[in-house]
Amino acid sequence: MFGQHQVQITVGGFIIRLFSKRQIRLDVGYIHFVCNQKKEPDILVECLEGVPEGILCGAELVFEAANTEKIFYTIYRTGTGLVFAVYDQYRQDEIQQFALLDDSLRQWKIWSKLVGDALEPLLFPMGAILFHYATLQGNAVMMHSSCIFDGKRGRLFSGFSGAGKSTISGLWVKAGSRMINDDRVIIRKEEDGYVAYNTPMYYTDEPRKTRLDTVFLISHSPENKIACRRDASAVTGIMAFSIQNNYDVRFVQHHLAFFSEMCLSVPVYDLGFVPDESVIKFIEENGV
Amino acid sequence: MDFKQLNDIKNRFVTRSVGDELVIVPLSGNVAQMNRLFTLNETGKFIWENSDKCADNEAMVQLLTENFEVGQETALSDVETFLDKMNILLSNQ
Repeated sequence: MFGQHQVQITVGGFIIRLFSKRQIRLDVGYIHFVCNQKKEPDILVECLEGVPEGILCGAELVFEAANTEKIFYTIYRTGTGLVFAVYDQYRQDEIQQFALLDDSLRQWKIWSKLVGDALEPLLFPMGAILFHYATLQGNAVMMHSSCIFDGKRGRLFSGFSGAGKSTISGLWVKAGSRMINDDRVIIRKEEDGYVAYNTPMYYTDEPRKTRLDTVFLISHSPENKIACRRDASAVTGIMAFSIQNNYDVRFVQHHLAFFSEMCLSVPVYDLGFVPDESVIKFIEENGV
Repeated sequence: MDFKQLNDIKNRFVTRSVGDELVIVPLSGNVAQMNRLFTLNETGKFIWENSDKCADNEAMVQLLTENFEVGQETALSDVETFLDKMNILLSNQ
């Protein structure tokens, strides 16, 4: 069933196999995520050339991912699954790729332009979309967050854009901690607890992961202060910063179930912080 | 907002009980609503879950006084507060 060319990557613990009759090219950020595991893939991606004819016939628009400046992608529901129209981030009047995801959320077809002699199926933002939908068919979520491991504890920092995710994780790295990722993290429930994984970025990085011990919802503050969230407050607090496409009841239920369970074992704190090394001592003194 | 309107819009939300509270998440066709999540306390959760049994405020007040140790005045205030919150929730949709 597979084409002549295959490449397999592991992201967030999910094995993703891409195959095509054409050569497959991936961005530099994927290099160290390529794997040769013999296990059956969780996600299959057929990479195709060109534009699929009539793919949007009878399709219903269900979701638009856009901000005031850009449109990233739109999603349509069809009889055969979900169709994604992914926009070129530099030429917004052009659709960069179409993709079709079947109802099992495990099988993709991605149509891309041929560049030279190869297809580039995971061009931004297609890769991030694919990872998000991989989490929806597994026991996982994807977060806008940074994450570090200090040798003892894995700490995840999430918050609004500009809240200081990169700043605070950078302070920990300066103090000797290991950066997992400073922007986008997959959290999975595994046998021994919750694990945070990095995802491929625009720069070269190796796959990283850590056990997740604490979540902080951060904001800048004139003094370091911390407050524990419990029950529904913890669930809504962390879910607000997860990556979500909430047009489908199943997807919302997935997130609610995941976070409800996770918040029983991983504590969630509101953290107001001063952006200097004092916050590290403050967190350590609080034993979280 | 009345209970008929509430029952008409409930399928636009997904809910989950967490402890004594109810988390409410709106279904949405764009990213703007994604961080708008709501919680209802124990009384609000009861009203949400029993709204289809009540044609009007008086019926819900009756139900509340039967199930909680509250008087009519407090129950009516709870119902009105709940419906005000639902109005806000709906206006954010």
